[in-house]
Amino acid sequence: MTHLNAHAGTAADPVLQVQGLSTRFHTGRGTVRAVENVSFDVRRGETLGLVGESGSGKSVTAMSLLNLVREPGNIEAGHILFRGKDIVALSNKELRGIRGNGLSMVFQDPMSSLNPIMRIGDQITEAIHGKERTTAAQARERAVKLMKLVGIPDPALRLADYPHRFSGGMRQRVMIAMALANEPDVIVADEPTTALDVTVQAQILDVLADINRQLGTAIILITHNLGVVARSCDRVAVMYAGRIVEQARTADLFADPRHPYTQALLAATPRLLASRAHALMPIEGQPPNLADAITGCAFAQRCHFAHAACQEQPPTTQLDDRRFDCWKTASGEPLPPLPRHRSQGPEAVALVRAMPVAEDPQSRTGLVPPLLEVRDLVVRFNVPSTSLNPFAPGRHLHAVDGVSFTIDRAETVGLVGESGCGKSSLGKALMGINPVTTGQVVFDGKDVTQLSGEQRQWVRRQLQMVFQDPMSALNPRMTIGDALAEPLIVHGLCKGAAQVQARVGELMQLVGLDPAVATRYPHEFSGGQRQRVVIARGLAVNPKLLVCDEAVAALDVSLQAQVINLLKDLQARLGLSMLFIGHDLASVRYVSDRILVMYLGQVVEEGPAETLTLQPQHPYTVSLLSAVPEPDPVTEASRQRIMLGGDLPSPLDPPSGCRFRTRCPVGPLHREGRERCVSEQPALMPVAGSPGSKAACHFAGEMTLAGATATRVIPLHESKELIPT
Amino acid sequence: MPDSALRRGLRRPRTMIGLCIVAVCVLLGLLAPVLSPHSPMDQSFDALQRLSLAHPLGTDELGRDLLARVLYGIRVDVVVAVFAIPLGAIAGCALGMLSANNRWYGTLLQRSFDLMLAFTALVMGMLVAALIGTGTPAVVVTVALVNVPLFGRITRSAVMTQLSRDYAVAAEVLGVSRGRLMLRHILPNSVDALIVQAALSFSMAVFIEGAMSFVGIGVRPPNPSLGATLKASINFLGQTPAYSIAPMVVVTLLVLGFTLISDGLNQALLKR
Repeated sequence: MTHLNAHAGTAADPVLQVQGLSTRFHTGRGTVRAVENVSFDVRRGETLGLVGESGSGKSVTAMSLLNLVREPGNIEAGHILFRGKDIVALSNKELRGIRGNGLSMVFQDPMSSLNPIMRIGDQITEAIHGKERTTAAQARERAVKLMKLVGIPDPALRLADYPHRFSGGMRQRVMIAMALANEPDVIVADEPTTALDVTVQAQILDVLADINRQLGTAIILITHNLGVVARSCDRVAVMYAGRIVEQARTADLFADPRHPYTQALLAATPRLLASRAHALMPIEGQPPNLADAITGCAFAQRCHFAHAACQEQPPTTQLDDRRFDCWKTASGEPLPPLPRHRSQGPEAVALVRAMPVAEDPQSRTGLVPPLLEVRDLVVRFNVPSTSLNPFAPGRHLHAVDGVSFTIDRAETVGLVGESGCGKSSLGKALMGINPVTTGQVVFDGKDVTQLSGEQRQWVRRQLQMVFQDPMSALNPRMTIGDALAEPLIVHGLCKGAAQVQARVGELMQLVGLDPAVATRYPHEFSGGQRQRVVIARGLAVNPKLLVCDEAVAALDVSLQAQVINLLKDLQARLGLSMLFIGHDLASVRYVSDRILVMYLGQVVEEGPAETLTLQPQHPYTVSLLSAVPEPDPVTEASRQRIMLGGDLPSPLDPPSGCRFRTRCPVGPLHREGRERCVSEQPALMPVAGSPGSKAACHFAGEMTLAGATATRVIPLHESKELIPT
Repeated sequence: MPDSALRRGLRRPRTMIGLCIVAVCVLLGLLAPVLSPHSPMDQSFDALQRLSLAHPLGTDELGRDLLARVLYGIRVDVVVAVFAIPLGAIAGCALGMLSANNRWYGTLLQRSFDLMLAFTALVMGMLVAALIGTGTPAVVVTVALVNVPLFGRITRSAVMTQLSRDYAVAAEVLGVSRGRLMLRHILPNSVDALIVQAALSFSMAVFIEGAMSFVGIGVRPPNPSLGATLKASINFLGQTPAYSIAPMVVVTLLVLGFTLISDGLNQALLKR
């Protein structure tokens, strides 16, 4: 799987050269310098990663490569040399000859990049426009070959299907097949796996790696995910504020970052295999506004090592195979390790008195009943029948199908699963947003599914929620001060405007915001700050349980770390219980004491966070863990990868017996004599020898995370920064 | 922020032109006594005169000054628009919110909106005139009634969209009551679509007044109105073409002005 040096022989042979590229957008509010003086080479047959957070200019760079930048954007300077021609200077007609043939592109969202009313076969053959004329039969044959190449089963049959018959992963494969149609030299893949689930992401990355290896096609992989880079790329270029701040071979970059931004990004990224005891190190502050002119180093304001010289444009240092723009490391010295993460400062601590602290030592021993107990919860939605027969019975979708678990006082439970597994439906059912079909939700001894009126309001004060997208979770027409005051007024928690204002100030300090900004509207804040406001609003009523539904999924890595640390901090100080719902195991693991893994509406495994991630029992958990790319090329290269075949079955029609059996690597499809998996539904049973762990599998523990994963349990933050060159 | 989009919308060239046209027309109406030496009701023996200094737009078949009749006619349109549209908008908005909140009312109200939309404005006008008699009040009631289903539907769809957003869910989770949720959260966020519709409704009001007076169920003679003047002019199209031109131009300008405003606001407020 590793191909780090596979193309060393041809390494010196660049197929695409970008020199001093600058792309700007002339908007009504000034000129946005989206890409500024970017230079890099792509060598024949290599995979180059282009990483950066949102707004770093990586997508605009991709569009510039194909000269696809449209009004009000414009390529202002630079050259893009491909096959001896400068793409920037080509006419539209010449560009058409290169796009698709020499350079092609795969986009982020496979759902909207395919024409919904055209058959897949027609869309692929349309992309084939070689120099020699092809007959319909030849084109068809080639389409089948391409589909086989990207791993679409039964390609000849599927040619006649429309895009809606394909899952997200399959559509992305079709996109890749189309990009490959004319055997391009370079494929630009712009966040090709961001919209996909992690097990499907692993499949797509594998397809790209295969193409890279078999056809020698160079790939420019644009991503925000350092794990993806570590898994797939030979070289990496890190972008920040429209510039490339560092580029190097993947192994070098991860082991010994020479730009403080790269270092900070690595330290802020949650890892599966690092110790949980280390706090993530967020990058404080925000990236600069690209509409303002930036003098000197763009990262200087957030940099730990900034000094006077950083006000001037840093020099580009060329060291062997790597390049970086930094004053600190210009001498060739490696960066010193990052200082430890500092606490949020004294202003946040003042509030603890005002909040009830409920750390009860007895709760862990089982003497005190759990704060929340969910018994056999079922959430069912009615789905209108698609049949033309008006008397056809309606169908039911069991989003949550018989889930039981508990949350203790001051405990954080993580809930992970891929999209469509029912984790959000479960969270919403707890909050009373989704109606509970059957089952009980017992909160503090009361069944909250049966409450009404007065008591419902009581429950609402105990249970609060943090949403995925903070922009949509805040009323755009309300100042954040009003948004925070609302729960206080509604529940009559404060009397008089002065008291409300004082409490709003406290809440803002609690989440690390300046109370002076209370009069501003949500759009004036960054994503991370908005999420703080949402958290503060949830905390306004002193809840006992906070349900966080994908609370960090919409945030960039640096902000994600801020919010994760804040939640952990609040949880410890306020004695909160939390249900932390997420799809990203690495970040869920950082916050949670225990983790539940869901698959198709059911909990398949439950266990303490550390045990579950290191010694998973259920084959689904094992596969999920092995699919998560770890931001460490050494681990990635040595790790055993378990590739799950196929896609998630439809929750409308779940498989009989064990729901995972259709994809299970040790299930009836791969092993003889596993009829039991088909006929009998496994119950969630305690795992012998592992206290607190439960798994719903007839053959629990048969599959393990082998080899490399188990041995590399070292705190990576500490070791990484100290590795000398 | 709440009004920056609105301000941006008002600053669009299209909106500005529309506003100017409407402002000029309304000003002319308001200044009618100053601008015209004649009363719109004064009859004289100089019937069907052509343009002259004494009568800049000529006179009608009863010798009334046409300039005065057109200018005072604008006032009628302004009165209709100012009374009828808020009436229709408030009723439609309330019913729309109600229909978004309850499935049973919702279905019932939606179907009654459909029923009301099935009547064209003129048929609705005839119905109203039959019930309360012809005259300016009939025009006001008709314009209001025609607007109810339009505002009702727009409010319903805007409210439904906003209700599905996380902040509405968050408010519910926080225990905010339904009424407060509607008034404090949903309505302020739905108002953009209503503003656009209101501007469009103004042009419709001018149009409906014209149509009703034209067929004789609107403003009662001898009161001046643009529609009535236009109707009377038809008979004399061959003799004095100037007779029909002035009311025609003013009606067109008013409709155009309001449509431009609506269009400009639409681009800034709704098409993000």
